[in-house]
Amino acid sequence: MADSESPPGAVHVTQDDVRRLCEFIYRRTGMSFNDNKRYYIDRRLSERMAATGAGSFRSYFATLRSDANHEIEHLVNAFTVNETYFYREDHQLRCMTSDLLGRIVQGKKREDPIRIWSIPCSTGEEPYSIAMWLMENWPEVDSHNIEIVGSDIDTRALNLAGAGIYGSRALMRLPRDVIDRYFARIEADQVQIDAGLRDSVQFTRANLIDASDMARYRGFDIVFCRNVLIYFDDASRRIAAENLYDCLRPGGYICLGHSETMSRISPLFGVCRFADAIVYQKPEAGHVG
Amino acid sequence: MSDNRAASVFSKPRVLVVDDSSLMRLYCRDVLERGGFEVEQAINGIEAMEKILGQSFDLVIVDVNMPRLDGISFIRALRAHASSIAALPTLVMTTEASSQDREDARAAGANFYLVKPVAEAELLRHVAMFIGGRS
Repeated sequence: MADSESPPGAVHVTQDDVRRLCEFIYRRTGMSFNDNKRYYIDRRLSERMAATGAGSFRSYFATLRSDANHEIEHLVNAFTVNETYFYREDHQLRCMTSDLLGRIVQGKKREDPIRIWSIPCSTGEEPYSIAMWLMENWPEVDSHNIEIVGSDIDTRALNLAGAGIYGSRALMRLPRDVIDRYFARIEADQVQIDAGLRDSVQFTRANLIDASDMARYRGFDIVFCRNVLIYFDDASRRIAAENLYDCLRPGGYICLGHSETMSRISPLFGVCRFADAIVYQKPEAGHVG
Repeated sequence: MSDNRAASVFSKPRVLVVDDSSLMRLYCRDVLERGGFEVEQAINGIEAMEKILGQSFDLVIVDVNMPRLDGISFIRALRAHASSIAALPTLVMTTEASSQDREDARAAGANFYLVKPVAEAELLRHVAMFIGGRS
């Protein structure tokens, strides 16, 4: 979707405006931007100012600070690279079914739910992938009560996730038979995910670095938190890690993106090297294993 | 961009890949599209300049050795432009590995210099230096 009509950088913002904006985004979301991204930020800011009809940075910033129309979410989303597609980094999904779940069910009564969290889940590809993967690859899927939650800071992304409508690019890693089982074509280049799968995932809004937000989420067995911590600075990264720690049950696991390691962020977690992936574990009372 | 919805969830960062090798363009396009970027291509510096003047981009990935207008001259022309495109980040991706080539690119105003071959993860990591947000 190119904005090819508008001249690049049409809205004038000063260095000082950008600095204030970045400071504001940092305080609210933990995302930090370096100078390399100045051009990118200018462009996204101009887009959002045009979209909201703001005539000046000052009026735009006022809208942002008053949180009118959830503008902070829209702005953060404008900075977002929506890289998600189904079965992305499927080695972690394989690790979940071949190693993690076996260990998790050992410590549970049959009626206890298994709780899996995808944060941030953007438009839902990750939590739906988890659901499909379990259906396809975990023989015990029918004998447990599995709860899958997808959370994101952006309510618009969450609405799209709930609707479950995707372009064909999101399907590129899925086997043909899986596509046939779980998706219905609704337009030439659009599919909708099966209603049963849509019901199997609960979508909620949450901000990783907001402790009061995160306090509503407890008792997860597995958390997928991929490719978001790389955009945080050290301080926000530590806060996010501590918040996630509190959301996990003792012995629960956290899966990060392939370029991220918890070891450099927080000493709270143990490292588990499985055949398919490295994951991090909240210690069971007294030990990691 | 006046469509609110498009500006939010669906607006992808745009990258221009400038290389005279169609295979390189194809490789970059595949990697970057998988990475969530929208990719436009140009076969030399002249075509790149024309595209930049007509469309918006977040980053240009440019080869050095190209017919008509080479990568270094292209970056010099871009930096000398009177409009805001002069600040467009440029990532040089080339087989030329000498320190003189690096210095020439830096002096012309390139933001970063990568020597081919560049693996998928490495390319995405370097692009992410200039294009931010979570994925």
